Amino acid sequence: MRVRIEQRSEPLTSWWASAALIGVALILGMALAGLLFIPFGASPIEGYSILISNAFLSLRGFGFTLVAATPLMFVAFGTIVAWRCGFMFLGFEGCLLIGAMGAAMVALAAVDGAVLAHFPPLILIALALIWGAVLGAIWSGIVGELKVRLDGNEILIALMMNFLAIYLIQYLVVGPWRVDGDLPQTIRFRRDMWLPYILPGTRLHAGILIALAVGAVLIVLLNRTRAGFEMLAAGLNETAAKYGGINAAVRRRQAACLAGALAGLGGAVVVLGVHHRLLDGLSDGTGFLGIVAALLGRMSILGSAIASILYGGLSIGGDAMQRQTGLPSSIVVVVQATIVLFLLAFEFLRTHRVVVAAPKASSTSTKDV
Amino acid sequence: MDTLLDLGFLATWLAAAVRLTGPLLLAALGELFSERSGVLNVGIEGIILLGALAAYVTAIQTGSPVLGIGSAAVIGLASAAFLAWMYVITQASQVVVGLIFNVFAMGAASYAFRMALGDVPRVELAPMFEPVSIPLLRDIPVIGSALFEQSLLLYATLALAALGGYVLYRTRFGLNLRAVGEYPRAAAAAGIDVVRMRIICVLISGLGAGLAGAYFVLVQIGLFRDTIVQGRGFIALGIVILARWNPYLAIAAALGFAAMDALPLSLQLFDTGIPSQALVALPYLLTILAVSGVFGRSRNPAALMQPYSANR
Repeated sequence: MRVRIEQRSEPLTSWWASAALIGVALILGMALAGLLFIPFGASPIEGYSILISNAFLSLRGFGFTLVAATPLMFVAFGTIVAWRCGFMFLGFEGCLLIGAMGAAMVALAAVDGAVLAHFPPLILIALALIWGAVLGAIWSGIVGELKVRLDGNEILIALMMNFLAIYLIQYLVVGPWRVDGDLPQTIRFRRDMWLPYILPGTRLHAGILIALAVGAVLIVLLNRTRAGFEMLAAGLNETAAKYGGINAAVRRRQAACLAGALAGLGGAVVVLGVHHRLLDGLSDGTGFLGIVAALLGRMSILGSAIASILYGGLSIGGDAMQRQTGLPSSIVVVVQATIVLFLLAFEFLRTHRVVVAAPKASSTSTKDV
Repeated sequence: MDTLLDLGFLATWLAAAVRLTGPLLLAALGELFSERSGVLNVGIEGIILLGALAAYVTAIQTGSPVLGIGSAAVIGLASAAFLAWMYVITQASQVVVGLIFNVFAMGAASYAFRMALGDVPRVELAPMFEPVSIPLLRDIPVIGSALFEQSLLLYATLALAALGGYVLYRTRFGLNLRAVGEYPRAAAAAGIDVVRMRIICVLISGLGAGLAGAYFVLVQIGLFRDTIVQGRGFIALGIVILARWNPYLAIAAALGFAAMDALPLSLQLFDTGIPSQALVALPYLLTILAVSGVFGRSRNPAALMQPYSANR
C-alpha cells in the first residue's frame, strides 16, 4: 500500500467541507492534548468533563464563560476586519491595554472633585467606552500608518507595540495612578461607572451585549456597505482593487483603525465590567487568543463569536479545574492552540487529496479525507 | 572622581551588553538562514522558551550544563521539524502558524515545568557555565572584562556567526539557499530541491532558537520562569532586518540591542529619575525604529513568506 498526495482539480469550498474540517480538528486537537491529563492521574474524559461542566453546565459558570468570551470576541472581530483587508495586525494585546487605560482615564477623572464628577453615569460610561476605542484606534493606526506610508514591517511593529503598552500600563499603576496599598493598581472606579450585571446569580455584565451588537453592525458593514466591500476587495487582491477604483491604502488605514478601536473597546469593557480598576497583567494573552478564535471561526463574525464562547469556556473551565483538582490549567492553552494548528494543517486537504493506492494496481481505491 | 565613575559604569554596561549579545545573536543567526531561504519563522519566540525549559530541567536533573545544551538543541530541532512541516509542506500562513505555535509553547512550557518539577515553583539554580577569563587581556580598562571574561559559549557563538557568513556567501550550499529565497522557481529549474532546502533552513532556525534558550538559562539567569523570553525572539527578528540578512552585521546589530537590554540593569545603581519601565521598553522601541525604515531601507529576500509548490 502506498500513500500519495496529489493536487485536487478544484479546491473544496462547500460549507459542509468546512464544517467537517473544523469538527475533525476539534476532535483530534482535544484528543491529542487530552493525553496531557494522564501523567497527572486523570483520564482525558474526566478532565474534559470537569472542564465542560464548570464552563457550560452551571448558570454561574456559563456567566463567567461569557465574561471571558467578551474580550475574545472584540479581538476576534478586530482580527477579521484587519486581516480580511490585507493588514496582518498582531497588536491586539496592546490595543486592549490602551483601551483599558482610556476607560480608566475617564473613570479616574470622574471621582469626587475631579473634572467629570458632575456628569451623569450613563454619559460617563459611554465616554469611557468611546475614549478607550479612540485610543485603541490611534494605537493601531500608528502601525497602519508606518505600514502604508513607510512600508514598515507591520508584524514586528505591532508585536513590539504590545510590549510598549504593557510597560506603559505598568508605569501608570506603579507610578502616578497607584492607589495606597500593596498592589500595583488604581483606585476602584465609582460604583455607578461599572457596567451593570445583567443575569442575576452571575457576574455577567452588559459587555457581552455590546460585543454582540458590535458583531451585528460589523456583519452589515462588511457585507452590505461600500466601505466594507472595498476593504474586503483590497484584502483579496490589491492590484485588482486599484483598477476597480478602490483606494486600497485608505481602506487599509481605515481597517487598521477600526480593528484597533474594536480591541480598545474590548479593553474598556473589561475594566468597566470585570476589574473596575486598572491593574498590571490585565490582558495576559487575550489579544492573541482572540486571533486564534477568529481563525477557528474561519474569519466569519458569527463563527468567531461562537469560537470565542468555546475558548472563553475552556479558559474558565481550566481555571476552575486547577482550583478544584490541581490539574494544571496550562493544558487548556495547549488544547486551544492544538485545535487551530490541526485546522491550519487541514487547510492543505482543501487543495490536495491523500490517495491510498495498492502497489502495482493502476487506479484503485481513492480515499478523500 | 566623576570620570572614574563614568568609566566604571561604561565597563559594567559594556560587559552586560556583551553577555546579553549571545542568545540574541544565536536566535538571529538561525532566523537569518530561515528567512534567506524564504521562510519567516515567527515561532522562534516559542522555541526559545521551550529550549530554555529543556536546558533548565536537564541541567538540574543531571547536574551537567552540557547535557542541558544538548537537550535544548534537540527540543529546538523537534519544534522546528513540526514548524517546517506546517510552513513548507502544508503551506499554511507562516505568520499565523508561528504565532499559534508561540501560544502552544507557552502552555506546553508551563505544563512541562509543573510535570517535571512539581507544584511549587523552584528557586534552585541550575548548574551554569562559568566565564573563562583570559589573563592580561582582561586587565585592559573598560573593554577588558567585557571582551575577555565571558563564557565560552559567547566565543562559540561569535565563531558561529563567522561560520554562518562563510557558509552563506562562500559555499555552494549558501548560494543555493540564497537562490531559493530570491527566486525559488529558477532555483528549482537549476536543479535545487527547494522544499528540502527550506526544511533544512527552518531546522537551523530551530537549532539557533533552542540554543538561545539554553544560553539564557545556563549562562545568564540560572533559573526558568515562563516570562524569561519576553519578546526576545521577536527582537531577534528585528535584528535580522536591521542586519540586512547578513551574519556579520548581525553581530553588531545584536550587540546594539543587547546594549539597550543591559541599560536598565546597569543604571540601577544611579538615581537617574527615569522610570524603570521606560528603560526596559528601550529595546522594543529600538526594534520598532529598526523595522519601520528609519535606519534606511532594507530589502527582503524576494520570496520571503511565499509558499512554494513544485507543480503550479
